[in-house]
Amino acid sequence: MSKIGLIVAREWNERVRKKSFVVTTLLTPLLMVGMIALVSWLSSRGADSVKFIEVVDRSGFVAAQLENQPDVVFRTTAEGVSPEDAMCNREEDTWGILIIGEDVMTNGAYVELYSFGPSTMEVEQAIRHEIERVVEERKLEANNLAEVRRVLDQMQTTVNVRAYMLDENGARSSVSSVLSYAVSYVFGFLMYMFVLIYGSQVMTGVIEEKNNRVLEVMVSSVRPMELMMGKILGVAAVAVTQFSLWVVLVLGLGSVVLNLILPEDLMEAARMGGVPVEAVGGGADEMAQVLSLISEPTYLATIIGGFLLFFVGGYLLYAAMFAAVGSAVGSATDSNQFQNLVTMPIIVALVVMFGVINNPDGALAMWFSMIPFTSPIVMMARLPYGVPWWEVAVSLVLLYGMFAVMVWMAGKIYRVGILMHGKRVTFRELYKWMKYKY
Amino acid sequence: MNPILRVEHVTKQFGDYTALDDVSLEVPRGQVYGLLGPNGAGKTTLIRIINRITAPDSGAVWFDDHLLAPEDVARIGYLPEERGLYKGMKVGEQAIYFARLKGLSRREAVSRLKEWFERFGIEEWWNKRVSELSKGMAQKVQFIVTVLHRPELLIFDEPFSGFDPVNANLLKEEMLALRDQGATIIFSTHNMASVEEVCDHITLINRSRNILTGRLEDIRREHGSNVYEVRFAGDSELLQQRLSQATTTIKLTAGVGDSTLRFKLNAESELRGVVGLINDAVDIRSLSEVIPSMNEIFINKVSQQGGVAE
Repeated sequence: MSKIGLIVAREWNERVRKKSFVVTTLLTPLLMVGMIALVSWLSSRGADSVKFIEVVDRSGFVAAQLENQPDVVFRTTAEGVSPEDAMCNREEDTWGILIIGEDVMTNGAYVELYSFGPSTMEVEQAIRHEIERVVEERKLEANNLAEVRRVLDQMQTTVNVRAYMLDENGARSSVSSVLSYAVSYVFGFLMYMFVLIYGSQVMTGVIEEKNNRVLEVMVSSVRPMELMMGKILGVAAVAVTQFSLWVVLVLGLGSVVLNLILPEDLMEAARMGGVPVEAVGGGADEMAQVLSLISEPTYLATIIGGFLLFFVGGYLLYAAMFAAVGSAVGSATDSNQFQNLVTMPIIVALVVMFGVINNPDGALAMWFSMIPFTSPIVMMARLPYGVPWWEVAVSLVLLYGMFAVMVWMAGKIYRVGILMHGKRVTFRELYKWMKYKY
Repeated sequence: MNPILRVEHVTKQFGDYTALDDVSLEVPRGQVYGLLGPNGAGKTTLIRIINRITAPDSGAVWFDDHLLAPEDVARIGYLPEERGLYKGMKVGEQAIYFARLKGLSRREAVSRLKEWFERFGIEEWWNKRVSELSKGMAQKVQFIVTVLHRPELLIFDEPFSGFDPVNANLLKEEMLALRDQGATIIFSTHNMASVEEVCDHITLINRSRNILTGRLEDIRREHGSNVYEVRFAGDSELLQQRLSQATTTIKLTAGVGDSTLRFKLNAESELRGVVGLINDAVDIRSLSEVIPSMNEIFINKVSQQGGVAE
């Protein structure tokens, strides 16, 4: 094995075997899928208990027409029973008593709810909607306009925009802006986290080796450039390992969980390729479309492939800078001045990303997805919306080109820095190092 | 036999600072070669150039009759003054890693390591983490790692710093054993006592220059300044009186039995005549030339050259 190979293997081995790596790698997807599953399960399940409500109806007509809701069941008391009697004679499982005023037709204000447990907005809303419905219908009837209800029902419309994007040949591809938004956000942010976390791992690694004086021993067998590249690539291998495991775990767990919690017809719709299913109305159509896109291999491949390409490029660029900083400073606390300089562009990229998500085609998006220091994050945010391939290509070339330049410069600082101890380093000093002949 | 290492007119600058100024030296095979000099003299820079960690601005380094090449580092073993190991790694695994970086195969590394670990009686450390070892224990591991690939040229920079006396002695013996097996050792230190014990040749570097080089014996003799010491029984006053013309007394130590007189020959006197004078006055027990210690030569030379560099 070549020397760089040995160094990469050691870095990978040491890091992957760490407890913290194993825990975060396994737990993060579990938590992610678990949270999503929990939320959708809870919202599909609705309230966990049914509330029984005794209705004391003074108007004489509302109670009879109240329809039970999934979590609210109305029980009408006999006519003429006073609220006090209803209270005394209530059944054991009664949650509350609802008093509807005599003149509810003209004065909506007199509806009161007395509950034995904390009331929620949802319960009150369900009650309000039911009473309003009954009263409205009664009003329509009173004016001999019963027909109007039917007309109104017919008028109610739900519109879904099905979006397609056309390429030069006019072939259409299905797009979902909801999905693009979500993917942009998640992957852009993921990129930010990965570059920052793994980049600074390179820095702390170098500082540790320098303080341990291991580097003094290493440099007699290995060239400083090989050492630096070995560390950078080794940590990159760890990052790619973690990301790949996350993809596999999230997709695997996700598909199992989705099958369990989503309604059968929605899954069917997704499998059919997003064909709207009449039975599934409203947001479910959007949902089906998203599911169909996610399960489309080319879409997944673009996102994941793009992420890997830009992550590796962006990470390499920043890792080279972090390695140079690590070699120049004596301790993690000393590194602030330089570290800020390195992290600044990443943070700028993140800020730009939030703008780009809403306007993926604008000039801001275009330029910042070309500048090597910001392109990994900004381009990642643009990718889900579709980006012309040549823009991606130019951006990648610039990114990897910048990486080559940066490695060359970082290497010059690194080879001096790792053997320099107890000296407070300034920018002028760094510049001088770069000119040393080795 | 050709020298294993030849340094020719090596100069190295860092910015405005000259770390080495036209330094030349030859290291003969199979010997312990002392590289001496005060702190900041340029020893470490020279050692780094020999290890190809850094390159000279001008001049050349010849190793085994060819210009020092990258693959030669596999034939050199280097124990730096500031040394360390990966704290979190297991001892055995780490030793294998370093050995493989020097070009050994895993299998070869393991079998050689087992030998060394047995020899030092430290087999049970194999699966321990370095952080669990004491400093002295880690130093032993470090030593093994340095010599495992059986380098022809070994460079020890202040090897005894941080070792307790027992381990320092063990290290010295191992060093001499390696020399007897044919390895050449460059030994950099400012502990002059150990230089006299183990070195055959030395080079003294001060202020970036080679100011003294040669066989240790020759150097000490050259720097001898006609000082002798006589141990005798008899009248010391008589002796001093007899010698007063030919010598200058440096020190007289009167003992219960024998006394010792240290004296310096005057310019035109000869030892032979002086011995006759002593013999007439007292009973000579022993007479020897006082050869200056390396320590004296070191201090003398360095201060002659204008002291230690800032």
